Amino acid sequence: MPTLSRMKNFFRNIFAKRRNDGDLDDEVHFYVDLLAEEKMRAGMNPEEARRTARIELGGIEQVKEQVREVRAGAWLDTVIQDLRYGARMLRKNPGFTAIAVLTLALGIGANTAIFSVVSAVILRPLPYANPQQLIVLRETTQSVGPHSPSYPDFLDWRKQSRSFSQMAAINNREFNLSGVAQPENISGYVVSANCLSMLGVRPFLGRDFLPSEDAPGTAPIVLLSYALWQSHLGADPSAVGKSITLDGRSFTIIGVLPPNIRLLEKTDILAPIGVWAGDTDMTDRGDRGDMDAVGRLVSGASISQAQAEMDTIAANLRKEYPATNSGVGISMASLRDELVGDSRPPILVLFGAVVFVLLIACVNVANLFLVRGAARAREIAVRQACGASRQRLVRQMLTESFLLAFLGGGLGILFGALGIEGLRRLVSMDMLQGAIIGMDRSVLLFSGAMVVFVAIAFGLVPAWQASQPHVQETLKDGGRSSTASAAQHRLRGVLVMAETALALVLLVGAGLMMKSMYRLLQVDPGFRPERVLTMEINLRTAQYSKPEASSNFWRQVLDRVRALPGVDTAALGTVLPLSGNHNRGDITIEGLPTPDPGKFPHPDFHMVSPSYIDALSIPLLRGRNFTDADTDTASQVALINATMARRFWPNEDPTGKRFHFGHPGSTEPWMEIIGVVGDTKLYGLSNPSRLELYLPLQQSHPNDMFLVLRSAIDPASLTPAVRDAVASIDKDQPVFNVNTMKQLVDASVATRHITLVLLGLFSGLALLLAAIGIYGVISYSVQQRTHEIGIRMALGAQRSDVLRLVVGQGVKLAALGIAIGIAAAFGLTRLMASLLFGVGAYDPVAFVTAAIILLLVAIAACYIPARRAIAVDPMVALRYE
Amino acid sequence: MTPDQTNLLQGTLDMMILKSLALDQMHGLGISRRIEQLTKGTFHVKPGSLFPALHRMEEEGWLVSSWGESENNRRAKYYRLTRAGRRQLESETQRWGRISLAIARALEAS
Repeated sequence: MPTLSRMKNFFRNIFAKRRNDGDLDDEVHFYVDLLAEEKMRAGMNPEEARRTARIELGGIEQVKEQVREVRAGAWLDTVIQDLRYGARMLRKNPGFTAIAVLTLALGIGANTAIFSVVSAVILRPLPYANPQQLIVLRETTQSVGPHSPSYPDFLDWRKQSRSFSQMAAINNREFNLSGVAQPENISGYVVSANCLSMLGVRPFLGRDFLPSEDAPGTAPIVLLSYALWQSHLGADPSAVGKSITLDGRSFTIIGVLPPNIRLLEKTDILAPIGVWAGDTDMTDRGDRGDMDAVGRLVSGASISQAQAEMDTIAANLRKEYPATNSGVGISMASLRDELVGDSRPPILVLFGAVVFVLLIACVNVANLFLVRGAARAREIAVRQACGASRQRLVRQMLTESFLLAFLGGGLGILFGALGIEGLRRLVSMDMLQGAIIGMDRSVLLFSGAMVVFVAIAFGLVPAWQASQPHVQETLKDGGRSSTASAAQHRLRGVLVMAETALALVLLVGAGLMMKSMYRLLQVDPGFRPERVLTMEINLRTAQYSKPEASSNFWRQVLDRVRALPGVDTAALGTVLPLSGNHNRGDITIEGLPTPDPGKFPHPDFHMVSPSYIDALSIPLLRGRNFTDADTDTASQVALINATMARRFWPNEDPTGKRFHFGHPGSTEPWMEIIGVVGDTKLYGLSNPSRLELYLPLQQSHPNDMFLVLRSAIDPASLTPAVRDAVASIDKDQPVFNVNTMKQLVDASVATRHITLVLLGLFSGLALLLAAIGIYGVISYSVQQRTHEIGIRMALGAQRSDVLRLVVGQGVKLAALGIAIGIAAAFGLTRLMASLLFGVGAYDPVAFVTAAIILLLVAIAACYIPARRAIAVDPMVALRYE
Repeated sequence: MTPDQTNLLQGTLDMMILKSLALDQMHGLGISRRIEQLTKGTFHVKPGSLFPALHRMEEEGWLVSSWGESENNRRAKYYRLTRAGRRQLESETQRWGRISLAIARALEAS
């Protein structure tokens, strides 16, 4: 019943507002009149009685307002009134509104876009059950660091460990998919049968692998990724049971994975390890290929407990199999870190940067509000006098702020959507670890939260201002110079300092990134990337299992491609510089003391055709290059790089020295060093050169190679002709990873590049906003001080004095802001140290340059108001007061 | 306004208004005067408190108002208790009794 009556009141109050108000007016007036009558009866004269009655009442309008506020639904009434009033105020000042909304929209838009990346890459849980329990396990040796375990080692881990409820091997493997329009190379994982159940993933279609499918001799079966099923099988639900041809072998499709399943890298298919478990490379404990182990910790077990247990297991294996396991330990990392570890620093730095931009935007809008608040002081005073309570005024101001924030937020989300679209184009899938960024619920939620934060952040300022009790003074001096109190002026100065400081931090960050990038691009990669085309060919079918067959194929490829017009040099090599791919192995060098276990030299090795170093313009520093005569029948030879020569033969000529793969006593043949070539950057420009050695193609017989073509013309234009040439040898052989060397160089610095571009963009935005802020404060101050400036000029001040006065004020604020910003930057740039190259986090040049840029911008921002100050006519200025 | 008039204790205003209307309907100033009379001039209710309270209590359903003719033949708004209002007065009176007893005991204790 009370609720019902309240609802009735609620509607009456809203819909019969006018009648209610009229009644209220009558009621209060009646009260005053009656009170006055009482007083007259007590002997006051009518005039006196009325006045005293009114004073006793305390203001008819105030009382009415107080009554309105207790009414049911009063809040809604007030909100509507405030909104209407706020909208009117915003419409009345289109310039103010446009600048404020645009500023906020840029800040919120940038945050929305970057947050979509934070959300997709860092925050979104992996699509597995209890993903925090998933651990990636690797073997580790002192000279190499973490590397793949061998399959027999993995099987022992799985058998012996108690800290893991399940463990699965996942072996990244490429496949040649044929029987489709154009043969192609796809990548997938060969996994233990329990892999999906361990992850907590069920196939979208079909069945999971069976435990028995771990056993050697398993029939070829495969699970397709959702994407491959869509693109190659037209999302046909009856695909299960059909077959596809991988590496020339027919695989039965047993199911389809749910969307977005990606183990450590792009995953097109999954196949059970049993299909290959009998192969020699899977049964050899010393063969450590491309396998990772993923385990699920038993619930309650900590990673350090598991590490302790695995250390014991590794020690036992070392004792049991000294030939293959000496010096081999076990390292662990959470699957999450393994996936996003490298992406986290740049993303967080960029997120920090956009938060700064948003703060600057808020400060700027707060400043705008302050200026306008000063202009509205009279209006506010009048409203206070008419009975508006302080609380009511604060609410009105907050409503306006919210309205503005809402407009800015709406536009900002639109900007954010455009930004996300831009990021999608700019940022490669691998950089995002396969995460798909988009405007999803969590991003929208974040943007909404930002709007509220923003509204409160800059809304508090005018609200505070409105609550300042200065009705009397404001009304008395007619709203002319009463405007900015000293406190307000101080506040505005503080705000400008704050945004200058924030902008400085961003500028320093961008400067450091820029210098890193410059340093990075100056690094000599060890080869000449211009006009070089590369593409990968991986011979995976049974017909190429014999060395003669693959040699024959490679010879034909080189012959036919060399004959193509435009090709200067054609070569083959197994590992391209900057690709991050690698072949490595321990070696034993003749005549040097035998190293401790785990400390054998572990060079990267390339298997190359003789023309390889010419095609990439890698300099031959000493000795001779390979020739076509370096075949199986000749003696085994190798080239080494300069780093390797320096390391092992610092004072002598390495040519003629011998080494072999593996450890002392192995059956590997001795190889003679015939020359020394320049270092190349295999693992990105920022990493130091490593030990490298080169083996002749005709003595090593690799099946997976990159074709490297140096051309006289635009290298990319050669692609179709090269594809045709390869197809004319084997029509089922895919040609993939087609890139110019220039593209590979760009890709190797892409993350830094994008980070730099975005950071530059954000710091530019910050600079612009800071300039607007300084301009606003100084031009307002000039306007306020027109009178004072007039007096100064009348008393003989020169234009230069006035200029100094005005610019000096701005520069003082900026300088203080810069000082604070430098202190803050000292604390913050440390956090981006992992993104820097060839430049310290406290690089003085970056700091000084940022400070100078900001100071110049501050001076420029003061210039326009300063010009206005100079133009002041003393007579006009004096009369003005 | 006069210094010896105590402001109404927080929360007691509703009770005093209900009490003043216990016998008869009254308009605003009448209620104000009745409270002064009931408390022998100790409490003086200001219109800034009285009117919001009256309107709030009306919305609570404790009072109803009607327009009528005043003693000086003016249109005046009269308030009277509803049944809910009487119940509220009873419960407030009991509550007050308990509180004042408790406080009196507390102050007497040594």
